Amino acid sequence: MSAIIQSGQAGIGLAGLAGRRVRLGLIRDRILLFAVLVGGWEVLSHTVVDPLWISRPSLIAERLVALAASGELWRNTQRTLLEAVLGLALAFAVGVPLGIAMARYKYGHAVAEPFIMALHSLPRVALAPLFIIWFGIDLFSKVMMAFSTVLFIFMLNVHEGLKTIDRDLLDLLRTMRAPRHYVTRKVLLPWIVPWLIASLKIGVGLALIGAVVGELIGSSAGLGWYIEKSAGRLDTTGVFAGLVLLMAIAVAGNLVVARIERRFSSWRPS
Amino acid sequence: MSAVVALRQERSDSPSALPAKIAIRHLSVDYPSPDGRPVRVLQDVSLDVAPGEFVAVVGPSGCGKSTLLRVLSGLLQPASGTAAIDGRGVAEASDRIGFMFQRDTLLPWASVEDNILIGAELGPKRVDRARLGELIAFLKLKGFEKHRPHELSGGMRQRVSLGRLLAYEPEIFLMDEPFGALDSQTKAAMGRELLRIWSAHQRAVLFVTHDIEEAVTLADRVIVLSARPGRIRLDVQVDLERPRDPKLLRRDPRFLSLVERVWGALDVQPDL
Ligand SMILES: Nc1ncnc2c1ncn2[C@@H]1O[C@H](COP(=O)(O)OP(=O)(O)O)[C@@H](O)[C@H]1O
Ligand SMILES: [Mg+2]
Repeated sequence: MSAIIQSGQAGIGLAGLAGRRVRLGLIRDRILLFAVLVGGWEVLSHTVVDPLWISRPSLIAERLVALAASGELWRNTQRTLLEAVLGLALAFAVGVPLGIAMARYKYGHAVAEPFIMALHSLPRVALAPLFIIWFGIDLFSKVMMAFSTVLFIFMLNVHEGLKTIDRDLLDLLRTMRAPRHYVTRKVLLPWIVPWLIASLKIGVGLALIGAVVGELIGSSAGLGWYIEKSAGRLDTTGVFAGLVLLMAIAVAGNLVVARIERRFSSWRPS
Repeated sequence: MSAVVALRQERSDSPSALPAKIAIRHLSVDYPSPDGRPVRVLQDVSLDVAPGEFVAVVGPSGCGKSTLLRVLSGLLQPASGTAAIDGRGVAEASDRIGFMFQRDTLLPWASVEDNILIGAELGPKRVDRARLGELIAFLKLKGFEKHRPHELSGGMRQRVSLGRLLAYEPEIFLMDEPFGALDSQTKAAMGRELLRIWSAHQRAVLFVTHDIEEAVTLADRVIVLSARPGRIRLDVQVDLERPRDPKLLRRDPRFLSLVERVWGALDVQPDL
């Protein structure tokens, strides 16, 4: 847990250590590595391996351009992004209050705990067929997939964070007769920010998994659907184009979380 | 001001003439222990604090001084006996209780200013910029308004706690070794300021300290508790006229003999 929270600081440390020149060098070397990998792939597909299996970077790039031109790229990317973001937001909106309730109502939590853990351990992927029956083949079932994958992350992390809360701080506010909403706003919520950020970091990837799994099982749009459809036709170029776009979404998501983290990393529990 | 003087004199003439602000009767407090048998921390403590009286409490560490304050602030239920403020149980009391914990309890993510403003937000009146600036200057925190607690020294954090307490404008002060982390110079200065605030507002103060000279310098009365379970071992009136100058006190035979008496009471260790 704390390792996750602190990793952002390590990043800042590296930036502080590295001067401008070192940083430019780093970027150059990363581009170099990328070129070597992609170039190697390209060469491999022209010489040793049939592109039927591994496609070819140049073909994938062509496909991406074609998809962008037809509007299909944006339609599918946007769909998957929307599913994951809505699922993540819903998991946040439901998971945080549930995590707070778990910390506040200790007996109720003790009663519910085995069931919560059982649900948490259930591979959520297996829920996809049921969700498609319940929520249909469109957007909503995928949102629920993403939601169910991330929900427990928020719930359990918030609960864990609140367990470490400084009792003296709460006692002090009690002696000052602070109303409950004041304590929640001034102490509980700020206290759990590091845990929320840690949840978000894990949650971005998991929400994407939930959405794509839902799409693979049954859908009519989205990157998962596009990958499924391409694979069905042995169109590996299509599969790789979908994977590239998924990776782009994941990277963008991580960048957003890193920004949020930098904005809020003013304090960490010691 | 004359009312203040009158109040002072009346009290030193006959301390029991006023109804008690804080009344503690036969108070005993237990803590649960790992082996299941409760551990007695305070044993049959009875104590009255008059309105406007400054009472210092000293005792060996672990004797229950912090526990006593926790009971008075309503955070802890006694095993037996009662604690009342203005004749009402501490939970129902209407007075604002300003508790200063032994440990600084600041919001780690909030700036010095925001931490002090907590007191104002929960207190009786809004604190405007000017008043906040005054408070910060008085606490010698100028230039640190935007700093967060982890960027401050222990003494500075304790001063922020004091600022929050003052912004809350308590009607009763419960202070648990508030200046324990300060160097002796700052400690003396803070003590002087506490006395200034106290004499201007006439609030009852229960002040826990392990510094005997500080206790005698500041207080109207010094209570000495025994080792755990804490009982009252000595309850002595400090009849030294105010304002008191710590430098002159140090050579005052009455001051020295009081310090001596408190030391004596602390030294008695029947358990050993
Ligand atoms: N929450 C608690 N649970 C169990 N024992 C406690 C608790 N708080 C304090 N104690 C014990 O009660 C005794 C008195 O504590 P305290 O009032 O903090 O002493 P003091 O402030 O005089 O040093 C100590 O021996 C301490 O170990
Ligand atoms: Mg103590």
